[in-house]
Amino acid sequence: MRRRLQAVIVAAALRLVHAALVALQRLDPEVAGELRRMPVGMTYAIHTGHNAPSLFVEWDGQRLLRIPHPEQAALCTLRLKALAISFRLFTGQMGLAHAYAQHAFTLSGEIADVMRLARLVNRAEAYLFPPILSRRILPELPELPVSRLRVYARTLIGFLQSSC
Amino acid sequence: MKPAYFEFQNAVKLLCGQNALERIPDELRHLEAERPLLLTDAVLLRLGMVAMVQDTMRAEGCAPAATFSDIPVDSSLSVVNRIAAVYRESGCDSMVAVGGGSVIDSAKGARLVLSHDTDDILAISGIENLRCGRHIPFIVVPTTAGTGSECTGVAVIRNEEQGIKMEFLSPFVEPDVAVLDARMTLRLPARATAATGADALCHAIEAATCLQSNPLSSAYCHAAIQLISANIIRAVQHGSDADARLNMALAATMAGIAFSNSMVGAVHAIGHALGGVCHVPHGEAMGILMPHVLRYNLPAAAESYARLLPEMVGWEKAAATPAQMRGEALVQAVTDLLGQLHASAGIPLRLSEAGVAEQQLARVAETAVNDGALIVNPRAMSVQQVLDLLRGAL
Repeated sequence: MRRRLQAVIVAAALRLVHAALVALQRLDPEVAGELRRMPVGMTYAIHTGHNAPSLFVEWDGQRLLRIPHPEQAALCTLRLKALAISFRLFTGQMGLAHAYAQHAFTLSGEIADVMRLARLVNRAEAYLFPPILSRRILPELPELPVSRLRVYARTLIGFLQSSC
Repeated sequence: MKPAYFEFQNAVKLLCGQNALERIPDELRHLEAERPLLLTDAVLLRLGMVAMVQDTMRAEGCAPAATFSDIPVDSSLSVVNRIAAVYRESGCDSMVAVGGGSVIDSAKGARLVLSHDTDDILAISGIENLRCGRHIPFIVVPTTAGTGSECTGVAVIRNEEQGIKMEFLSPFVEPDVAVLDARMTLRLPARATAATGADALCHAIEAATCLQSNPLSSAYCHAAIQLISANIIRAVQHGSDADARLNMALAATMAGIAFSNSMVGAVHAIGHALGGVCHVPHGEAMGILMPHVLRYNLPAAAESYARLLPEMVGWEKAAATPAQMRGEALVQAVTDLLGQLHASAGIPLRLSEAGVAEQQLARVAETAVNDGALIVNPRAMSVQQVLDLLRGAL
């Protein structure tokens, strides 16, 4: 039961992070720049455990698309070692840097691509989590050029649209 | 402080001290190997260092089946793939790598290619994603005291096409046996001794202070820093001092074990980029960058730097330093030591002395922020922050 609840929360969190990045592409120049530098056709897969939710995204040069299942293996695949760890990661109990330090995931692909993803996720988390939480999980709290409320609103709209 | 979770692994058997080289054939027999491929570089071949290893192996009945010496200073993906091809063509069943970081890391890369039955190392790049694969007996004889690669689960290999240094991380990269014999470093020139020693010092400091630091790796760091601060100047100024040489080799190995289990940080991230883009020798890049990065990290790492001060300057001096000044004092002690190495051996202290031009800095900064070592640095670093730091070091 507990595992099932964790899976539901992690699945929602994955979609929320994606929706936040899509929103931030329009709102935050740092995120927009990071995405612009991403090679067209770049694909990421994030697996959160055995029989647990996954997220597949592709950068088509304009948008970060959530795709149901990639035709080929993603260029960068992050495999978290257990759902319990993914739950901690996606509920603000552990940052990506600490996940790396704690050997929480394996990576197939180039490390440079994970660094890019880490910067994007850190940025999204800095907006999504309250500062008291962000300070604990991020190496440093960045200056945010947009109000959190605007980001929440846009993210929520994107999240709900993707659920329909 | 104990992290919420950590891992530690080191399965390398260490042969250290007198006649260590002569024990290689016996180790190969225990590993059920008869036809080793000897890997080295042209300089070591010319200096007769390789002949020393070949002769001892032959004398004890385990001559190399083939020798590959075409490994450049900065190894590359294509060299790795070529070594694997030579191994297959020569019917080898094991590897003995004699050299510095480039030779050892090339050998590690080739071993990965062979044990995973592929032709291209890029096909298996990643972090901790590899299965163990087929076991290929692997012995390493370091000829510098710096990289610690003889005991690490990391291989750093240059991607010529992209102009970056790639890291391959897996516990299955670790060699079976590492051989520390003072005879192998006695002829290392003063400048290379200083630069590789700076690399070892940097491994120990970054491994002890980065986000992945853990109690076991820290213990190795403290011991390594103590040995380095007590021996590096002696090894540089009196190259034939076998005791100082072996102490430096041991320190480098311990620092290697440490960072293999807790990673490094921004000095290495930027240093890899300087190597990939501007071809600055790795150890020299470490020496140039260390004071600047340590100062940048000081606000987040003062406490952990302070804990290292006694190893660096001795307990009496450390105790005489006010507690709140010890982090800063560590940074100053490192800066002073590098100044001494500059005076005795001529290692550069500025990027311009290493031939780096202002117009290369932007590319170095952009490359550095994509290096895996940056993720565990105590402070985050943006492209602009790396660029500012590089300008300060120019």
